[in-house]
Amino acid sequence: MSSVTTQIEDERPSSLWRDAWKRLRRNKLALTGLGVIAVLVIFAAFGPWLTPYDFLSQNLDARNLAPSLSHPFGTDDLGRDVASRVIYGARTAFLVAVLVTAIALAIGVLLGAIAGFYGGTFDKVLMWVTDMTMSVPQLLLVVVINASLKQPITLWMEARYLATMNPIWRNGAIIDFALVFGSMAIISWPPYARLVRAQVLSIRNRPYVTAARALGLTNRLILMRYVLPNAMGALIVAVSAGLGTAMVLESAFSFLGVGVNPPTPSWGNMISDGLRVWTNYPHLLVAPAAVLAVVTVAFNFLGDGLNDALNPKGQK
Amino acid sequence: MTALLDIKGLTIDIARDTGPARVVDGIDLVVNEGESLGIVGESGCGKSLTMLSLVGLLPNRIKATGGTAQFGGADLLKMSPRELRKLRGAEIGFIFQDPMTSLNPVMRIGDQIAEALIYQTGMAKPAALTRAGELLELVGIPSPRDRLMSYPHELSGGMRQRVMIAIGLAGSPRLLIADEPTTALDVTIQAQIVDLVRELKDRLNMAVVWITHDLALIAGLADRIAVLYAGTVVEDAPVSTIFEKPSHPYTRGLLGSLPTLTDQPMSRLPSIGGTPPEPGRRPPGCPFAPRCALAIAACSAAVPRLTAVPGSDPRHRVACIVTTGQSEAAA
Ligand SMILES: Nc1ncnc2c1ncn2[C@@H]1O[C@H](COP(=O)(O)OP(=O)(O)O)[C@@H](O)[C@H]1O
Ligand SMILES: [Mg+2]
Repeated sequence: MSSVTTQIEDERPSSLWRDAWKRLRRNKLALTGLGVIAVLVIFAAFGPWLTPYDFLSQNLDARNLAPSLSHPFGTDDLGRDVASRVIYGARTAFLVAVLVTAIALAIGVLLGAIAGFYGGTFDKVLMWVTDMTMSVPQLLLVVVINASLKQPITLWMEARYLATMNPIWRNGAIIDFALVFGSMAIISWPPYARLVRAQVLSIRNRPYVTAARALGLTNRLILMRYVLPNAMGALIVAVSAGLGTAMVLESAFSFLGVGVNPPTPSWGNMISDGLRVWTNYPHLLVAPAAVLAVVTVAFNFLGDGLNDALNPKGQK
Repeated sequence: MTALLDIKGLTIDIARDTGPARVVDGIDLVVNEGESLGIVGESGCGKSLTMLSLVGLLPNRIKATGGTAQFGGADLLKMSPRELRKLRGAEIGFIFQDPMTSLNPVMRIGDQIAEALIYQTGMAKPAALTRAGELLELVGIPSPRDRLMSYPHELSGGMRQRVMIAIGLAGSPRLLIADEPTTALDVTIQAQIVDLVRELKDRLNMAVVWITHDLALIAGLADRIAVLYAGTVVEDAPVSTIFEKPSHPYTRGLLGSLPTLTDQPMSRLPSIGGTPPEPGRRPPGCPFAPRCALAIAACSAAVPRLTAVPGSDPRHRVACIVTTGQSEAAA
């Protein structure tokens, strides 16, 4: 059966997603954005094999070098290759953005769908929680979460280390990432929950949902097969924008020292380091800042393009 | 003939901030096995809500507050949501008004029909898809097996309504309720859909309730017609009687406006002035009295009950004290 299905599918090029892709392909800005993101994903995934230098290896004879052929973005105050560090920073940025968005999305879709579809007390409580979370400044929330959790987690990991003597428990980067993922996910899920809830609220009264009810399908089936798939378009647009936002957030937190800490390179902590010496060595600031700006713009272009492609009549 | 569905004294209220507003006020209606009943009335008179109340699909804040609806030996209005869900599709199928929006836009036609079959009959997916193809063939869709792979937006309105009918038939229901299924379609397509449903009804031996505000459309389909006005049945008779000897002034008004039907759906009634009462603002007595040319003082005194029309078909009943001569008797 499945072979028949695929065969017919191939003869029949018009599906909703294919139509959307066709519209997206006509949008030059969106394609540019997609291209930039694709290049960065490749660097993030294969960075260690693509970079000429190790991002950690110091060369004290080659400190603060200006950009040149052998060091396209120059070197920093410890003689590390800035290009390699920027590429490794892409890895950090994408890792954080993808994981945070995945966690936030999972929580947001689950809670938003239940609230929108079933309503009632659960919906009221959820709205209240999202209102609260979204009204506290994001940065403040992250600082509070970091400040209150970092020490207990560090102590717990130290205890694990003493119990197991496994050096992984002494890896500070793990704590950094856990805290960054955790606190960013906590501030990122409410907008997804609200979006999904709003979508579900509008979709659940559409005629095809009533028709599905008239067929005696269960609520669960209706939610999974009729309501959520029709919210996909809006969700994809939001995820594209959300990934960009998550990258900027990660950089902002790392810049302020509550995110990823050195020596792990993040565009944020590189900008922070570069800022201190930018009058003498502007390349240390410009390189990570420019890359961050380009990625952010790329995600915006892609998000706009997706919005037009998935909502061709401008309806949401 | 045995009654498949027997509605008695059904009332439906909308919960408003100002209190409940009555939209359906004591409807009595019988659908016999294998019969096709046409329900006619201006939009807003409660046709859809009446049918939705039977299977527990009333919108939020709208409730059936009284009456009974016997179906297969049980009262639908007393069933639990779960029992009603099992009944939907399997015993009572629905076809809705707007085929353009009644199909899930992101699901293939075949999957949508198969879903109903898998869910209602426990069929495996391959068998359900095969059966879905047969159903598409049954409702007259060309190259049905290719169409299984289509998305709704690739089909015309008429084709989509045929798909809706196929879905409505998937569970082999004993009663098919078609709620203005052709209102959104071209006139020529309308006739095709009517023909299709008539043919299917005979072939599958099911009862059909066809809701419309277009008397002419169902003249050839319905065995019997019930005329609704402001949430009450004002006249109920075999189709030929309705056309030959309409008794209620409202029915006569509907028939009087028939010639305009071919070019415009009847949403306004040129031969009857005024508009039906809003829900919750029903006049005392006969709800049609304020618009009725024959109204007398007694009409506003009490709500007229459906009674047999003297000298007509024994199944002909009307709720009007003037045309049945009760007003003289009372006087
Ligand atoms: N979801 C709803 N909320 C509030 N009022 C409604 C709703 N649906 C229908 N009504 C009211 O109930 C009355 C009857 O509606 P309906 O049964 O849909 O009429 P019909 O199908 O005969 O056109 C209308 O006057 C309408 O205003
Ligand atoms: Mg209606």
